[in-house]
Amino acid sequence: MTGVDRRRFLTGSLATLGAGGIGAAVGANLGEQGTAAASTQANAAAQAQQVNVRALNSRVPFDGPHQAGILTPAPDQATWVALDSIVPDRSTLMQTLQSITQQARQLSQGEGIGLQEIEDPPPDSGVLGPVNSPDSLTVTVAFGHTLFDSRYGLRALRPKRLIEMPTFNNDRIDPARAGGDILLQVCAGQRDTVVHTVRELLRTVAGKLVVRWTLDGFQAAQRGPTQRSSKRNLFAFRDGTGNPEVTNAELMNRLVWVQSGARGEPSWTTGGTYIVARAIRMHVEFWDRVGMLEQEQMIGRDRVTGAPLGGKGEYEDPRYDLDPKGDRIPLDAHIRLANPRTDATAQQRILRRGYNYHRGIDEAGNLDQGLMFVAFNQDPKRQFATIQNRLSAEPMVDYITPVGGGYFFAPRGARGQADWVGSGLAV
Amino acid sequence: MLLAVLVVVGAALSPWSGGGKNHPGTTGPFGVAAQAKPDNGDNQLPVSVKKVFGSDIDAKTYGELIAAKEDQGVDLQGHLISDLSPLPPRAFNRPVARYKAYAERWAAKLADQVPSLRAALQSGDRDRAEQAWSVAYDDYLHLGAVYGLLPGTIDHRIDGMPEALAGAAHNPDFTGLHRIELGLWTGEPVTSLVPFAARMRHDVVDLRRALPGLEVEPLDYATRAHEILEDAQRDLMSGTDVPWSGAGVLGTAAGLAATQEVIGTLVPLMQGRENTLIEVQVWLGRLQKVLTQVRHEHNGTWPSLSHLTTEQHDRLNGTLAGTLGALSEVPGTLETTSVTGFPSIKASK
Repeated sequence: MTGVDRRRFLTGSLATLGAGGIGAAVGANLGEQGTAAASTQANAAAQAQQVNVRALNSRVPFDGPHQAGILTPAPDQATWVALDSIVPDRSTLMQTLQSITQQARQLSQGEGIGLQEIEDPPPDSGVLGPVNSPDSLTVTVAFGHTLFDSRYGLRALRPKRLIEMPTFNNDRIDPARAGGDILLQVCAGQRDTVVHTVRELLRTVAGKLVVRWTLDGFQAAQRGPTQRSSKRNLFAFRDGTGNPEVTNAELMNRLVWVQSGARGEPSWTTGGTYIVARAIRMHVEFWDRVGMLEQEQMIGRDRVTGAPLGGKGEYEDPRYDLDPKGDRIPLDAHIRLANPRTDATAQQRILRRGYNYHRGIDEAGNLDQGLMFVAFNQDPKRQFATIQNRLSAEPMVDYITPVGGGYFFAPRGARGQADWVGSGLAV
Repeated sequence: MLLAVLVVVGAALSPWSGGGKNHPGTTGPFGVAAQAKPDNGDNQLPVSVKKVFGSDIDAKTYGELIAAKEDQGVDLQGHLISDLSPLPPRAFNRPVARYKAYAERWAAKLADQVPSLRAALQSGDRDRAEQAWSVAYDDYLHLGAVYGLLPGTIDHRIDGMPEALAGAAHNPDFTGLHRIELGLWTGEPVTSLVPFAARMRHDVVDLRRALPGLEVEPLDYATRAHEILEDAQRDLMSGTDVPWSGAGVLGTAAGLAATQEVIGTLVPLMQGRENTLIEVQVWLGRLQKVLTQVRHEHNGTWPSLSHLTTEQHDRLNGTLAGTLGALSEVPGTLETTSVTGFPSIKASK
């Protein structure tokens, strides 16, 4: 295709969209879906679409004391993008972070696409139509320990507990799928929202940040029996039952957020949190060849209900005190090692917000599926690493292989239009 | 560990536990103990059975009823059950002893091969050294079912991969077969690898010393029937553990030999228990045939993974997956405990 042909094609398509397309839809919330629903009878299909419109209109605030995408409910779709910085100096890095925030704020708040010069490439790919509906989109920005090396003079500002992710027992971390100067966690209700957001963000940082690795995740659908029921991971067990309650602010201050005056922490880290992101391959074919009894004993829960073994409800206390020898729930069962529920281990708890992933097939013909384990904690050494070391000999290790990810630090949220995520580094 | 738990659970919740400590079957209404006897498949009764022995229940009705229930994994009282009577753990003594003797023979073979490998490295001839390495690697993988049982670091010293070590391949603790593999296939001077072969001699001595004392629980041994080839699929056919040589097919063939040995030792136990043995033997035979064909298609040598055609790769992966499906029935077929469910939280007080 010649240059002339290409230009003609572009202007042609713009002309077709015309006034009814880009111009009119700006500000008219979700023109396409809204019109479709209103003009049809109240049949089931239209109602379903109305629900969809409501979900697409759902907005998570971008600015605030803490970043979104941490305590906020996990929508169905996600992508993690780890980036390495190639900018020459700190001020360019700050400009880049500013533009990430601007773009992320706009996309997550759902704004119409403006039109600049008709002959210029449009400012937005337009994949979602003339309006970028918010669709619960969150973009969480975090930094890896490598950003605080000698390149940008940020050494003194490194969050105290931000280190390279240690190699844990059974880890087989592929360097090409681990680490990164900056991590973007993009979550939204629909896959196309996430894909569009990643595309626009990468356009924003072109020439400054380069992609090191990405991973796409999805949530199981909420299949009940209640709204509170935890969703299943790819081993078919409910995952997240033991999570600390996110509405308990006092608990979040003890477990998730870096507190003002925390020992050794630079002041800009206050209100932030450490992210432990681990791509954990789950050998699902292997798992599917394990007897049900053994599966349940490895986890410590009933596969159907999610109840601790011997119990009835998912949220029932496993009562390890009544089972000191592991007759009911083996001493090396996952839930028992992960959270022994003692006073001493209460301060080790982490907030998990993981997603399933599916990456296709490996060379041996097996499904490349697993869990993007994402945990937020105040101190990865006191919390995540302590738990992980306790899990090092659990029987389930035969069925999983951690292959990627890293430790990152997500700073506090932006304070408003003039602020940006990471502005604490500009001081 | 798991076994211990199963025994406790089984004892506590046996469906016939109302009578106390009686053996399952002896207090049951229909003589379940009879299921324990191996069945040669023929109906040896002179007459056809009309009623359940000792009762006036129609045999056909009862048979259909219990079969339908068992298909859902529950007994007539609605308790979760396993559908075979358990084997006594001691039944595994002879199979395990036979397997250990087999493993010791291959360890002896490996011990003989290490000096040949060392001589080949000394000669500086890369082709010859790669050939000698392949034989040694093949010998070691024939040990198969001993994985995870060897004391200390023996397995890691002989067959360890570098990922878990700090500094990975540069860590001085990265030795053994894969260290030599790395050197041979990435162009390191062949003679520079001699010290690794020298060290391996000592490691293999430790291996041979350790083998007679290995202990394995019955359920664990039965599980190894499918885990050897699972590991071959995950670590070898994927190329993960043979990144430099690509010797995944060779390794899978060795894993198949070890699996055939395990199953061979278990034949007396598996006979008459479901259809597992036949299924397993059919699939092991298929996999053997595919491997033989592929080797034949590569002029009698094991091809590296990268030299497989797509069609050969498909045949190997597909047949291996099918084989693993058949093998996954082995542990359930060889249950040593009767399992009924978990005690309730209140009952465990």
